[in-house]
Amino acid sequence: PTPKDTDMELPNAATNSGDKKFALPVDSENKATEFRIYSAAAPHMRAFHLSWVSFFACFVSTFAAPPLLPIIRDNLNLTSTDIGNAGIAAVTGAVFARITMGTACDLFGPRLASAALILLTAPAVFCSAMANSPVSFLLVRFFTGFSLATFVSTQFWMSSMFSAPVVGTANGVAGGWGNLGGGATQLIMPLVFSLIRDIGVTKFTAWRIAFSIPALFQTLSAFAIFFLGQDLPDGNYSRLQKSGDKHKDNFKQVLYHAVTNYRGWILALTYGYCFGVELTVDNIIAQYFYDRFNVSLHTAGIIAASFGLANLFSRPGGGLLSDVVAKKFGMRGRLWTLWIVQMLGGLFCILLGKVGSLGVSVAVMLIFSVFVQAACGLTFGVVPFVSRRSLGVISGMTGGGGNVGAVLTQVIFFRGSRYSAETGITLMGVMIICCTLPLLFIFFPQWGGLFCGPSSKGITEEEYYMSEWNSTEKDKGFHKASLKFAHNSRSERGKKVDSALTPSNETPPTHV
Amino acid sequence: MAARGFLVAALLLSCLAVTCYGVTFSSLQRTLLVTASPTPGQVLEAKEEPKITVTWSLNQTFPAGIDSTYKTVKVKLCYAPISQVDRAWRKTVDNLVKDKTCQFKVVAKPYSPSNNSFTWTLEREVPSATYFVRAYAYNSEDVAAGYGQTTDAQKTTNLFEVQAISGRHASLDIASVCFSAFSVLSLGGFFFMEKQKARVSK
Repeated sequence: PTPKDTDMELPNAATNSGDKKFALPVDSENKATEFRIYSAAAPHMRAFHLSWVSFFACFVSTFAAPPLLPIIRDNLNLTSTDIGNAGIAAVTGAVFARITMGTACDLFGPRLASAALILLTAPAVFCSAMANSPVSFLLVRFFTGFSLATFVSTQFWMSSMFSAPVVGTANGVAGGWGNLGGGATQLIMPLVFSLIRDIGVTKFTAWRIAFSIPALFQTLSAFAIFFLGQDLPDGNYSRLQKSGDKHKDNFKQVLYHAVTNYRGWILALTYGYCFGVELTVDNIIAQYFYDRFNVSLHTAGIIAASFGLANLFSRPGGGLLSDVVAKKFGMRGRLWTLWIVQMLGGLFCILLGKVGSLGVSVAVMLIFSVFVQAACGLTFGVVPFVSRRSLGVISGMTGGGGNVGAVLTQVIFFRGSRYSAETGITLMGVMIICCTLPLLFIFFPQWGGLFCGPSSKGITEEEYYMSEWNSTEKDKGFHKASLKFAHNSRSERGKKVDSALTPSNETPPTHV
Repeated sequence: MAARGFLVAALLLSCLAVTCYGVTFSSLQRTLLVTASPTPGQVLEAKEEPKITVTWSLNQTFPAGIDSTYKTVKVKLCYAPISQVDRAWRKTVDNLVKDKTCQFKVVAKPYSPSNNSFTWTLEREVPSATYFVRAYAYNSEDVAAGYGQTTDAQKTTNLFEVQAISGRHASLDIASVCFSAFSVLSLGGFFFMEKQKARVSK
């Protein structure tokens, strides 16, 4: 039997402190090897539910303004330019916040990092009730948008709690159900607004009170994360760091190993053209249907909501597909599937701008949403393997790249009147195709890339992940977690290759 | 015979076109004289709930019988061009069905050629903008047949402003600040508790 099989079948990790019993089967790092969606068992599934709910809350807050714009724009005397700028501001803040969040997760753990970010951005949502001008409106949307960096802590947390065979699924479901907030808010906010209005509050005050709902939801989720969550299956960073089980890593080294890994940069670019495009569409699609097909604002809102709500199954589907393909074809399968799905997303985007009838347009939009969101899920089936030491910063760079894509597409195609909305959408599709091509250049020496098999030098997973630690650090034993991860990641070789290799134990081979 | 059939068809089609696509503003004649109480450049504060008195009558310089089809008059509050700039949701479009210039109804009354007046209390929810008043005369099929407005054809004279309510309240502001402070302070509490836990477990 290969080491891979025996590691995964042990229900209680006998190789670690044997007192720990987990509800789910775990590997040698105590990461769950199964993803049971109906369970809320601590620490794995509980971490999953805490992370997707809090990310959902942040999405609801960030996109709470668009459905209420018809009222807000009259109250604050906004012009189309003001509205466009605020929409861009909402996704700009998260570009750097996501990278910072990645670093914070590496250093402090996802539990404290996400609770801190959520509580620091909640004031922006509460103070939305006080906005009284285009400038103050832009500022609250800008600072609220920082909360979208909880995406990084969500993915980091899932990558810390779930093992290689299910990490794509865990990341995809957590990310997808969080993104759902962008669609749900288009239904929630108008409902809350009309309830408050029915009590008799004038509409210019009612929208302000309505913002308290996402604000309170966000704050409560932070409390839940702090009191109910746990960084790693073995415990929290602070306790593990004090007891010496986990060392406090060196910030400069973590940053260096992330920034010098070209795969992180390529994924940051390509993520901008699946997730970034998704954010852009969240901002412009209601207006597009309203103006081009003359549907009512109410109908346009429902269509806009359905785009975001497709995340319920499409992003998780992408993550699941990544894991399913990896079982047989390993990392190469993950990369190929990502490339194909995102290219198809670009094609359907081009088509969306070209169809002229309402029914067909809605159908194409829904197909487009499934491909583009699945590509997001597929991306984060690859990200956990790019780096182990700097997982947080790589996740942050990729996530930040997503927001850069959103800023770029909105600024180039959807600002001012250079392009009509339909031309903008078609051109955005062309840009998606161009910016997905760099995936062809991703190569993992231990597994291969799209066109090449693994390096003929026979580089192993251990060598790839150990290259992130220098000899002094190895002497102190800091690399042990990475070593375990490397061993567990052998499943990324795929079935065909794996059976051909002889099983080795945990010490790295002496040949290069 | 065929020519008559063709004429009937053309007439029916044009009627259909009119009811389907709506009459255009440029096809209407300015047959009504409309005046409103706000003076040019006056700023009305919505929170004071000011009253606007509108009067309208038929412009007698038009040939008699021009108002034979008029059945009802609808008076509306309309955005002046300066408040429409860069705001597509207030755009003036010639097709009256799609026109978004006049979004607030003041009153609808049966038509009579003279002695029409109405005092309207400005709604609290009217946004801050520059306005004028326009009255449309509708025929029995509810299709616009004529209009009148307080301003000139370029919509530059005799405009008045409305200063809307802000919608803010002191109690809301205080609640927002308190909750914001609570969020930040509880974060401080979390960090403190975390340090304590780590110290204890050692």
